[in-house]
Amino acid sequence: MRAYKSSAGRTVIFGILVLCFIVTSCTQNSPLHYKQLKYSKLGDIQIPEVQQVTLTNGMRLFLLEDHELPLISVSARIRAGSIYEPPDKIGLAAITGTVMRTGGTVSRTGDEIDEQLELIAASVETGIGLNSGSASVSVLKNDIDVGLDILADVLMNPAFREDKIMLAKIQHQSSIARRNDDVGSIAAREFEKLIYGSDSVYARHTEYATIGSISRDDLVAFHKKFFGPDNMMLGIWGDFDTDIMIRKIEKAFEGWEKVDKQLPKVPSVEYEFPKTVNMIRKDDVNQSNIYLGHIGGLRSDPDYFALILMNRILGSGFTSRLFKNVRSREGLAYSVFGIYSANYDFPGLFYVGCQTKSEATIKAIRAMTDEVRKMTESEVTDEELALAKDSYLNSFVFNFDTKGEIVGRLMTYAYYDYPLDFLQKTKENVEKVTKKDVLRVAKKYLRPDEVQILAVGRPEDFDEPLSVLGSVKEIDITIPVPKK
Amino acid sequence: MKHKIRKLRYLVIGVMLLLFVMTTVAPKSARAQDLLTFEKRMTEFTLDNGMKFLVLERHEAPVVSFHTYADVGAVDEVKGITGMAHLFEHMAFKGTRTVGTTDYESEAKALALADQAFEAMKLERRKGDRAHKVKLEELQKQLEQAQEEIQKYLVHDEFEEALVREGGAGFNAYTSQDATQYILSLPSNKIELWMSMESDRFANPVLREFYKEKDVVMEERRLSTESQPVGRLLEEFLAIAYKAHPYGEPIVGHMSDLETLTRSEAEMFFKKYYLPSNLTVAIVGDVNPKQIKELAEKYFSRIPSGPKPDPVETVEPPQLGQRRVIVQDPAQPFVLIGYHKPNINHSDNAVFDAITEIAGIGRTSRLYKSLVKEKKVAVAASGFPGMPGNKYPGLFLFYAVPARDHTNQECEEAIYAEIEKLKTEPVLPEELAKAKTRSRAGLIRQLDSNSGLASQLTFYDVVTGDWRNLFKQLDDIDKVIAEDIQRVAKQYFTNKNQTVGIIDTTITEK
Repeated sequence: MRAYKSSAGRTVIFGILVLCFIVTSCTQNSPLHYKQLKYSKLGDIQIPEVQQVTLTNGMRLFLLEDHELPLISVSARIRAGSIYEPPDKIGLAAITGTVMRTGGTVSRTGDEIDEQLELIAASVETGIGLNSGSASVSVLKNDIDVGLDILADVLMNPAFREDKIMLAKIQHQSSIARRNDDVGSIAAREFEKLIYGSDSVYARHTEYATIGSISRDDLVAFHKKFFGPDNMMLGIWGDFDTDIMIRKIEKAFEGWEKVDKQLPKVPSVEYEFPKTVNMIRKDDVNQSNIYLGHIGGLRSDPDYFALILMNRILGSGFTSRLFKNVRSREGLAYSVFGIYSANYDFPGLFYVGCQTKSEATIKAIRAMTDEVRKMTESEVTDEELALAKDSYLNSFVFNFDTKGEIVGRLMTYAYYDYPLDFLQKTKENVEKVTKKDVLRVAKKYLRPDEVQILAVGRPEDFDEPLSVLGSVKEIDITIPVPKK
Repeated sequence: MKHKIRKLRYLVIGVMLLLFVMTTVAPKSARAQDLLTFEKRMTEFTLDNGMKFLVLERHEAPVVSFHTYADVGAVDEVKGITGMAHLFEHMAFKGTRTVGTTDYESEAKALALADQAFEAMKLERRKGDRAHKVKLEELQKQLEQAQEEIQKYLVHDEFEEALVREGGAGFNAYTSQDATQYILSLPSNKIELWMSMESDRFANPVLREFYKEKDVVMEERRLSTESQPVGRLLEEFLAIAYKAHPYGEPIVGHMSDLETLTRSEAEMFFKKYYLPSNLTVAIVGDVNPKQIKELAEKYFSRIPSGPKPDPVETVEPPQLGQRRVIVQDPAQPFVLIGYHKPNINHSDNAVFDAITEIAGIGRTSRLYKSLVKEKKVAVAASGFPGMPGNKYPGLFLFYAVPARDHTNQECEEAIYAEIEKLKTEPVLPEELAKAKTRSRAGLIRQLDSNSGLASQLTFYDVVTGDWRNLFKQLDDIDKVIAEDIQRVAKQYFTNKNQTVGIIDTTITEK
């Protein structure tokens, strides 16, 4: 019975195919409108399995073989960051991260490492950011031993030579001197300070004085405190054999002592939703840089999935309301953006912003605030929700198109102690979001009447005085004079 | 978003390269193998109307990248319509006769009314102070009325939505001096969607929302040029480096041209340059070349053929002496030094590439070692060719970002000292070897991304005449000897052939 049924089914399908063939062959030369198109199902996404191993010294490994090209990449993540540096030594983490590599190791100078690597066109780099340290290697597979050897040496035995500390300080001092040249970075930097507070570890920045007070001893101590195998994870992808690679790594990091992992908790953020209007004068521009918003959220929040779709509808990409209305319809800005951002372990920011000609500043602020308010007042349309969901789900495959991002994502989840299948969970939850959910989270998280507004530009050219929005505070961005 | 000014990107890339060298080496034998394995995976075909396709199979993931290279850029503009190539790029996202509208025929009537009003305003404004104010106001009203009428038929951003909805990624476009490029990646079951949309885009474009989009582009000009110190400097610098050739004009256009451009001028520009003979497409990813060819014929054959437009025939005459521009600015100092050089197809091209590797890029490059590590006068210093383009003779550009408390003059002198060394002393054998190794490695590094490959294949095919030059450039650089570098440095890096641009900080740090 079964066999019979199925062969009958096949005949029917075959008949239809023949019919289709006849029909399409008549019209096969006439192009179809996109709405007429039908798509086959996308082949299953082959998500390669990342091998996870924890070495006896506590180092956690994530390995993924990829034999397409004769290359190997390594990416390390170390629990460290500028959030752990003292307020009078801002810049310590960054300089430590730079000089670990440029200052060389006990057995070779940084310049010698440069020569050695560039002869084989390889790279080994290190750095320390806000809440994690990183190191990377990129080599042809035949040079992996050299790459691992240098990586391990740099991580385990940095020499912190004084000449390269000085060079790193010159770089930092020069960027302080240049930090008010670019209007976009002024706006981003000062807006973060408004939201987190100017002394917050999440917004503070270097000054001549904080760079000046950093010594070699500080670098040595900072390194010693954070760099050890049990405080680090290592991702490796490329053209290698996993078992052999594990042995190579064990050997390269042999004898490295563990560190005391009792790190203080990541600082929390207190936020009281003040309503403020702020202005920074910049005379050499004819366009205002505008930000407005308040504190954002965490990815671990169960509402994160609905917020992803809310962001897509409000402000991210070519099809968002902000893009359509502020850019396409009003022609007010080339760049307009808005997002309720969520971080892994401390709150992100909610902001909308754009750059618009000075004479349209207030108009643009109102137009953007209106879009935020609308999100909180009524449900999005079925079409908007469908577009946001379809685009998220249909582009999901691009999460897996390079090996590096597959390994990197897994390490990120592990680093912040998120479920390793967080991306799959996100997908499943995004699929379930309704219009009601989007409105609920918009009402809950967006407060259009309790925003802090920042405009950087030439206030005398504004269409209306900024004070129509509230009492204006002028922020002084003069760079504090260095102590000689 | 839909546009990046190439010249700025190069500079940023230059700075990034100095800080993060991300390359790797290939064994010498890998080169020939690369070309061989590539040839096996490559399919080339040209449609009857002249449109060329390069298809590369890469089945790593079920995704495909599309890259349309239109051989038209800012260089093809003339005075009065500067910014047109880039503005057209923006317009190419506005839809077609059947995408972006509910009723094209009614819309077309309203569009014509808006054009009439705008062109009448343009005529009236030419009278300057004698322009009739009331008449201008009336025309402005007519324009606004027509635009309101147009809104009735508009389906906003349908072109974008149709592609984004189906999972489109990396959706963007770029305009440079040499070319206009449209890029997109899709899941591999949506290939026909790209075929339908991209062919419709160039077969039946409707330049709607033209006047609003000009406002957007003017904001882009304010953002990238007028409110950016280095943007201001670059515009001044290129303007004096070229007195005849259009490479001296800004890609984004002059503000006054942007204000007066009309929709009919944009349509004329389109008709002249967006012909199949002027379009090359690369498709890289999880594809079946036979299916691609069938679909390409089905969809792109509808674009009528036409003669390949003439290239720019103006030749920049030799300089008669050094040129220098000083931009007085509140920003910190910055120095650019450019020398005219031949285009990418000249036999000295590989020598300039070798000079870039030896002097310009990486922690061990001569400029970085001298200016940043040793003299400590700069925080970044580099040199690279192809500014502002490669198709016609461009500049070899050196630049330095002075360290705090150091001057443009110190940086300039340090750069000249390195240039002098290139002229008077042969480079070391290990420097030359490093340059060759790094070029090979750099190439291998570019082979692991669909969109990167699509971009390289179209560039080499259009600008150098054959995509294989992507690999053959390595043979050329392998042949470079120390004497070539000395000869080229002496021939091109002369005082007479030089243009210098600096930011002079008029307000000093307190």
